[in-house]
Amino acid sequence: MKKFMKLACVSAVMLTALAGCGSSDKKADTDEKVLKIAGLNGGFGTGGWEAVAKKFEEMEGVKVELEFEKNISDVLRPRIQAGEDIPDIIYLAIGGEGGLTDTMVKEKQIQPIDDILDMTIPGTETKVSDNIIPGFTDALNLRPYDDGKLYLAPLNYSPCGLFYNAGLFKEKGWEVPTTWDEMFALGDKAKAEGISLFTYPTTGYFDAFFSALLNETAGPDAYEKMMHYDEKTWESAEAKQAFELVGKLADYIEPNTVAQANGTDFSKNQQAILDNKALFIPNGTWLPGEMEKAPRAEGFEWGMMALPKVSADGDAYSTTFTEQMYIPEGATNVDLAKKFMAYCYSDEAATLFYTKGKSAVMPTIHASDNIKDDDINKVFYSIYDNGAKANAVGFAALENQVEGVDLTTGEGILYGTVNSVMTKDKTVDQWYDEFITALKKVVEANK
Amino acid sequence: MDKKTNRLYRIFIYVALLTLAISIIVPVVWVFLASIKQDSEFYGSPWTMPLGMHLQNFADAFEKANMGEYFLNSVIATGLGLIILLVVALPAAYVLARFKFKGKKIINLGFMSGLFINVNYIVVPIFLMLLSWDKGVSQIIGQRIFLNNIFVLAVIYAATALPFTIYLLTSYFRTLPKAYEEAAYMDGSGYFRTMVKIMIPMAKPSIITVILFNFLSFWNEYIIALTLMPGTSKTLPVGLINLMQSQKAAASYGSMYAGLVIVMLPTLILYIMVQKKLTQGMTLGGLKD
Amino acid sequence: MNNRKQERRFVWLCLAPAILLFTIFMVFPTLNVFRMSLLKWGGLSANQEFVGFNNFLILFKDMNFIRSCQNTILIIVLVAIITLIFAVVFAAILTREKVKGENFFRIIFYIPNVLSVVVISSIFSAIYDPSNGLLNSIIGLFKPENWEGIKFLGDQSIVIYAIIGTMIWQAIGYYMVMYMASMSSIPEHLYESASLDGANKIQQFFKITLPLIWGNIRTTLTFYIISSINLSFLFVKVMTGGGPDGASEVFLSYLYRQAYDNATYGYGMAIGAIVFIFSFALSAIVNHITLRDDMEF
Repeated sequence: MKKFMKLACVSAVMLTALAGCGSSDKKADTDEKVLKIAGLNGGFGTGGWEAVAKKFEEMEGVKVELEFEKNISDVLRPRIQAGEDIPDIIYLAIGGEGGLTDTMVKEKQIQPIDDILDMTIPGTETKVSDNIIPGFTDALNLRPYDDGKLYLAPLNYSPCGLFYNAGLFKEKGWEVPTTWDEMFALGDKAKAEGISLFTYPTTGYFDAFFSALLNETAGPDAYEKMMHYDEKTWESAEAKQAFELVGKLADYIEPNTVAQANGTDFSKNQQAILDNKALFIPNGTWLPGEMEKAPRAEGFEWGMMALPKVSADGDAYSTTFTEQMYIPEGATNVDLAKKFMAYCYSDEAATLFYTKGKSAVMPTIHASDNIKDDDINKVFYSIYDNGAKANAVGFAALENQVEGVDLTTGEGILYGTVNSVMTKDKTVDQWYDEFITALKKVVEANK
Repeated sequence: MDKKTNRLYRIFIYVALLTLAISIIVPVVWVFLASIKQDSEFYGSPWTMPLGMHLQNFADAFEKANMGEYFLNSVIATGLGLIILLVVALPAAYVLARFKFKGKKIINLGFMSGLFINVNYIVVPIFLMLLSWDKGVSQIIGQRIFLNNIFVLAVIYAATALPFTIYLLTSYFRTLPKAYEEAAYMDGSGYFRTMVKIMIPMAKPSIITVILFNFLSFWNEYIIALTLMPGTSKTLPVGLINLMQSQKAAASYGSMYAGLVIVMLPTLILYIMVQKKLTQGMTLGGLKD
Repeated sequence: MNNRKQERRFVWLCLAPAILLFTIFMVFPTLNVFRMSLLKWGGLSANQEFVGFNNFLILFKDMNFIRSCQNTILIIVLVAIITLIFAVVFAAILTREKVKGENFFRIIFYIPNVLSVVVISSIFSAIYDPSNGLLNSIIGLFKPENWEGIKFLGDQSIVIYAIIGTMIWQAIGYYMVMYMASMSSIPEHLYESASLDGANKIQQFFKITLPLIWGNIRTTLTFYIISSINLSFLFVKVMTGGGPDGASEVFLSYLYRQAYDNATYGYGMAIGAIVFIFSFALSAIVNHITLRDDMEF
């Protein structure tokens, strides 16, 4: 079959002489340039993208095609697998719906984009790197390989933390806990009133939660090592302390949590906060928008805090969750794609993303100016001004994926097992030992 | 049997029948009721009655999920798939049931083992194959014709349904008396004529069963359609996923259930229309042979 | 002689389109699954490494795979047995008894099979809801006020039975129709003469109905195997995502997790190859051990 096709192709070339064998190059001469962007139609909406794309079209005289779907992984995976019709830019966070970006990282199908940082933002005189909040492009998950190069570009950052009903705290006269000891003391107090201390949407939300916790117990340097699969650091007492703190939460968990910690019912766990059935839920700033239409207890008011400190003189951490966009291998308009990405970091684009999209905050230095004082997001985004330290999230990429060992996804050994710990099907030690055993396998395979 | 036990027995029968019936009716009615609820009504108990007729859900579902276009796509894929399936499967089933020839055993075995192939894992290989054809063809005619093609999707639906359909039809043909064919041959009718004019009409009950079964599976099919139609043109169940996958996005439950009802209604209607004939066409032979 | 030739030509002309479609779209892709099961491959890059049967060797030591195996087998066995009993009994009632509203019941019972998996899953998550689900509300009537609902989808020892319950609910009508079809073809005079011999309804059922539809039941056993493997995946995917902590993982959901989430595509395809061989072998075994002398009427 293949041979026949080749032959047919050759004769077709001879017939059409210089017209070319395929149709793609013909297009480039006649049509204007088309930049194809595919991404997740998620919590931040698509309005921001449409507005930014339109501006970019006007500025550059090109056409921007947007393809935004809720199941973008399912849509793109076969196309990428086949190396056909690959978009120039993909917007889908690591760990996002369908896991395509994770696979792209693992399979090294992403192009380095260091030069974007040195580019001038189109329409301005500012250098891209000068307009991005310092530190944001240093995150490990954006530079997943040990070559020091930047592969993924950060966007839509939001602090993650524990969300609660501030109204309830006022009503009961409770203090928001600052240490884990206070946290558990509050848990006992709440239990007496029939309220559980803690719930979570799905175990997928533990990546942000647990990363902040590891930073608190072991410190940022050790955390960095752990994200590079350093066995020794994981075996340290400080690392284990994080597991134990999660284990202790099992005594305070909202009883329906695990039954509802799946893709269909997770919003019922979020509802528990609105109904005053549970006090805290780890989540991101999209939560209020997601639960916008849900009924709530009287006097309900959103509150958010960083994770409680391990000790009074320790640090409180809040994971900064950022989404990512990147240029996949096989993209056709790499230069144009880079230009577009550079433009995304302009103040103009940042405003469009926030106002036309659903409150998406770009990691640019002036982006938070878009948040007005009466905006609920003001409370959330001031978390770092109030003393919490920021940490990134995500493991380094592996050279060799180990068959049957899923260490780090939402359902994997590190986070997925939390469901078992909460139902006491597994002890903290079992969870920890299973993780260490699996970690050793992964390390072994990547020596 | 004395009268008393007989009475008890009858009561038992009705209790059993009614229990099962209620366990089916309640949830189905529940979906219909859910489809006219407002989004805010979905957060409390799922068993409350709707506060009003919120028909906007259906308008939303139609618009947001592009249901109008997808509906048409689904009709084409399902209808065409059924036609291809019948055209291909009927003659094959007929000769497998009625003729003796070399290689029959192995062909039967082949189709039988086809029953065990699960589309969930062959769909990607099918995709890769179509893609490589596309690459070849686009070099000749400058156009891709295999992926994103509703007609190709229909062909593949038909192909994946072949083993079960051939099996059902073969079993049915075997039960038909030979006398009719013999009479036809005596009258000088050829093989083809006999098959088309005499035997296939006689297999009508079985054909209706086949149509219903495959209508249900084609209409609700999701994985093949998603993979082989990666472009903007989709079928109804794939479009429905747009409404459903709402993690980290404000959930619009009302229009989701409205979408479910839109997908569900045609199957319910067709079923109620043909249900009387359903049992007549079901003849299951042994799997060996 | 000419006639033979003509006959042969007719036979192969009739078979050719079916064989062609079947080979291209089912046999080749399946062979491809087997080929890919021998690769170490993430699924996206051109980076494929031939590893022989290594994927299979890992598979047999993978406890998560073994658990998905156990779950799948449990589902097949329980769904088949319970559905079979219910379906045969209801089929017998509807064909042998003069029931008022027989047509109504026939229509209603088949409806679950008409609904898509998505509809059924959302119905059942509402039924299994731990605080105000239908099941817990009913059980709660007999329990003290402060009784906590059963966590059908949250308890690792219950979740798989919750899936099984859903599958049985969905399957009864389908198989009932199949059994009704063959029961209605049993000649009436057999029952009449049995009745004259003094056999009651239950004896008639075991002496006449059951033996005469035995061939039919045997066939459906294969359907149970095939459809349980497929449907358990669809229900698990929507209702639990394999959780909590992998407790409801089945063959194909684990295949998807390995092929996509864990980026080990070749390994996932090895599971696919195992599923094919497993279902084929299991059907052959079941077919063999249920072999009885067929009764004819």
